[in-house]
Amino acid sequence: MNRNQRINLGPGFSRRQLLKYSGLGAAAVAGGSLLSACGGDGGGSGGGNGGGGPQGSGGQLIHGGTGGGAKDTLDPHQPVTAVDIARVSNLYEPLLFWNNNYELEPALAESVEPSADALTWTITMRQGVTFHNGQPVTADDAWKSIQRVADPDAPLSAGGQLSQIIDFSSTKVVDETTLQLVLNTPYAILDSLLAEYTLGIIPGGEFDPTNPIGTGAFKYESFQAGTTSTFGKYADYWGDAAFVDSLVIQDFSDDNAKVNALQAGQVQTIDNLPYNLIDTIKGTGGVLTAEGGQWVPFTMRVDQAPFDDVRVRQAMRLIVDRQAMIDQTLSGYGSLGNDMYAPLDPAYASDLPQREQDIDQAKSLLQQAGVDGLQVELFTGDDIGSVAVPAANLFAEQAKAAGVDVKVTKKNPFYDDDYLSYTFAQDFWNTRNYIPQAVVGTYPPKLGGTYNETHWDNADHRGLVDAAAQELDEAKRTDLLQQAQEIEYNEGGYIIWGFRQQVDGFGQNVQGLEPSKYLPLGNYKFNKVSVA
Amino acid sequence: MEVAPPKGRSGGAAWGLWLARRLGLAVLTLWLVSVVVFLATAALGDPVRAILGRDYDSNVARRQQLEAQLGVGDSIVSRYVDWLGGLVRGDFGTSLANQLPVGTQISSTVANTLVLVLLSALVMIPLAFGIAMVSAHYRRKRPDTVIQTILLALAGVPEFVTGILLVAVFSTSVFNVLPAVTLVAPGASPWDEPKGMVLPVATLVVAVTPYVSRIVRATLLEVLDSDYVELARLKGIPEPVVMRKHALLNAIVPGIQVIALQLAWLAGGVVLVETLFSYPGVGKQLVDAVRNHDVPVVQALSMIIAGVYIVVNLVADLLSILLTPRARTAISS
Repeated sequence: MNRNQRINLGPGFSRRQLLKYSGLGAAAVAGGSLLSACGGDGGGSGGGNGGGGPQGSGGQLIHGGTGGGAKDTLDPHQPVTAVDIARVSNLYEPLLFWNNNYELEPALAESVEPSADALTWTITMRQGVTFHNGQPVTADDAWKSIQRVADPDAPLSAGGQLSQIIDFSSTKVVDETTLQLVLNTPYAILDSLLAEYTLGIIPGGEFDPTNPIGTGAFKYESFQAGTTSTFGKYADYWGDAAFVDSLVIQDFSDDNAKVNALQAGQVQTIDNLPYNLIDTIKGTGGVLTAEGGQWVPFTMRVDQAPFDDVRVRQAMRLIVDRQAMIDQTLSGYGSLGNDMYAPLDPAYASDLPQREQDIDQAKSLLQQAGVDGLQVELFTGDDIGSVAVPAANLFAEQAKAAGVDVKVTKKNPFYDDDYLSYTFAQDFWNTRNYIPQAVVGTYPPKLGGTYNETHWDNADHRGLVDAAAQELDEAKRTDLLQQAQEIEYNEGGYIIWGFRQQVDGFGQNVQGLEPSKYLPLGNYKFNKVSVA
Repeated sequence: MEVAPPKGRSGGAAWGLWLARRLGLAVLTLWLVSVVVFLATAALGDPVRAILGRDYDSNVARRQQLEAQLGVGDSIVSRYVDWLGGLVRGDFGTSLANQLPVGTQISSTVANTLVLVLLSALVMIPLAFGIAMVSAHYRRKRPDTVIQTILLALAGVPEFVTGILLVAVFSTSVFNVLPAVTLVAPGASPWDEPKGMVLPVATLVVAVTPYVSRIVRATLLEVLDSDYVELARLKGIPEPVVMRKHALLNAIVPGIQVIALQLAWLAGGVVLVETLFSYPGVGKQLVDAVRNHDVPVVQALSMIIAGVYIVVNLVADLLSILLTPRARTAISS
C-alpha cells in the first residue's frame, strides 16, 4: 500500500515535502473574495473560486511548487514530490478518480463492478478515449499498466496491496473494453485502490521517459528535472478540455521565491503555501484552504514498558492539549484528532466522544499503573516534517502538568535502522481510508504491516478489518469498521491529535479552482482553471 | 600604463618559468583539493543507505545497482584513482539521483552562474572605482562621510536581505516592474529575458561593491597624500589628471586582489541569492545534490568551484604583477 510513497519520506524529507502529499478533509473553503487592489498584469478581475463571471479560454498557466530537484520524474507510477504529483495528475489518469469530496467517480473506466463474492471485478472502459498519440485506450492498456504497478517482485507505490491480492493467471482481458480482474482473496474496496493518482493508464503499460504518453487534459512537451516542464492542451480530451493553451510546472527550491513569483504575477498557482506566508499573498491573490487528512502521530510501542499497560497509553492520550497542538504547530490550520486515523473514510467513527486534555484522570491512571513520576524518551527528527519537532517539544511541556518527564531526543536521520523500534516516537502519514491504513500501520509485518510503529498485534481488531475488507454491503462494512476503530480508540498505541489543512495560493486572474480533500489545488486538475 | 614586455631572452624565460611555477602550484592545489573533496564526501557515511532510507532492506535490486555504481566494496584508494582518472579525462561520472551524466547536468548551471558573476563584475568594478574616486576626491568632507556611511551600512546587510528588499520594492509590494524570480523556458538561458537578470545582478553588486570601494578609497587616499602626487599638483597638473594618471593606477592593485576574492566568493557562495531568485545556478544545484546525497554531483561542483577560486586568484596575481613595476622587474631580472 503506497509503500514507496512512504519510503520516500526518508532522508532529505524536507518540510516542503511534508506539505506535499495529498491534501484532504471536509470542505472548508477558501478565500474566495478578491481584491481589486494592486494593479497587476493580466487584467484579471476578481473571483478566484470561480466567482468572477464566465471563464475565458487561452493563455498560459504557470504553476509553481517546491520540493523537487534532480530526482524529479514524469513516471506515472512513482511520483514523489508535490511537483511530480502535479505533473502526473495532468498527464495521466487512473481508471477512477477521487473527486474533490474524496469520493470515487468514473474516469477512464465507466464502471468497476464486483461479483457477489468480491473476488471478480469487471472493469468496463469508457468508449472513445484516446491517448495523446491518438491510439484508443483499451482494457489491455489498463491491465498492463496495473501489472507494471503491481509487479509482485517490485511493486510501485500504488501496487503494494494490489500485488498481494491479484490473481495474475486468472485475470483476463475479455475484449477491447472489458477487463476481468480476479483476486485471490475477496477485497471489497478494490475500486479505491484503482483511483490513486499513482496508477495512471499508459499505452501497453510502458513508460517512455523521452516521450511520456497519457490520456490527461495536457500532453507532454518538455521536461527538465529540477527546473521546468511544459505541457500543451490536449484538444481531443474526453472530459472538459482545458481553458488554457499551455501549462508550465515550475520547480522552486524556496517557499519565499514561490510566493514572490505569485505576487509578481510570474506564476498563477502555488501549492502548499507555508502558514507564515499566508497573509503575504492575501493582498495580491487568493488563498485556497481545504480540510486535510495528513497526520503526525505520537507512536507508543504496545509491547514495551511502560506502554504495554493500556492505562499508561490512555493517560498519555489524556495529557495532550489537542487544540494547543493545532494552534502552535499548524498555526491553527488543522482539525481535531481523536486518536483514530482515516477521518475522510465514510466509516470514520465520528460518534465516539472527542478526547480532551484531562490531567487529573491521566495522573490517576498513571498512579493505578504504578508509574508515578514516569520518565520517557520521545524520539523525533526533522525528516518527519516541520510539524514533528515543535509538536514533540510541546508535548513534553504539556506532560509536565501530569508529572511525566518527557525527554525529547532529536535524531538525524530519524528514519534509519531504529525506525519502527523506537519505544516512543513520531511518524508522518498521508490520509487513506481505514482498511488500507489499518493493514499497513497496525498489522504484524508478515501480514502486511510494513510500518507498524506501535507493534500493535490484536487479533480481534484484525478480524474485524479483514471481515470488512470482504464485505460488499456498505452498512455492514461501516459497522465492522466502527467496531475496529473503537478498539483502537480504547487501546491503540497512537496519539493522533490533529489533521492538517491544505493551504494553496493563486493569482488574481485565476478562476475555476475548488478546494479538494484529496490533492492540493483541486486535485491539480488544471484543465478546470482559466487565467484569461 | 603600458606593460613593458620582459626584455630579452632571459626575461622571457624568466616569465615562462614564473608562469610555469604558478601553474604547477595551481595544479598541486587542485590535486590537494580533490583529495580533501573525495575524503570528505566519502566520510559522509553510506550514501546508498542515505538515498534509499527505509527502502534499504526491501529494495535489494536498487541497492545493488547503486552500490555497483559507487564501487562500494572497492578500496578507497582505487575508488579515488578511478574518480580522479575520470576527472582528468573530463568525465564527472553519473548522477545517483537521475542516472544522467553529471557533465551535461552541470554544464548549463555552471554557465548560468558564471554569466551572473561576470555581469555582476562588469557592473560592480566601474561602480566601485567610481564611488571610490568621488569619495576620495571629497575626502573627509560631507559627501565622503555620507558615502562611507552608506557603504558601511550596505556592507553590514547580508545579501539575501538586500535581495528580499529589492524584490519587495521592484516586484511585489511597491512597484511591479521587474520579475521576482528567474523563469527559464526549456532550452533557453536566463539571460534570454534580460529583465530577469536585473535583480539578481543588482543584489550581488550591492553585496560586493562596498568592500571593493572601501579598499580602493583607502588606497587612493594614501596615494593622494603621498609626496609624488603633491609634486604633480605643484607642477600644475590638473586634479582630474592627477587622480587618473598618478593616483588611480597605483591604487588599482589592492583593488584587483579584493575583486578577485569577491568574484571567487560569488562563484561558489551565492546559494542564497540563487535560491531567492530561483536562479538555476551552481549554488542551488549543490544544495540539491547534497540533499539527495548525489555524491558525484557534489564532487564535480566542489572541484569546479575550487578551480574557479584558483583561476581567479592566478589571474589576479598575474595582473597585480604586471601592474606593479617593482614586482615586474623582480621577475624578469
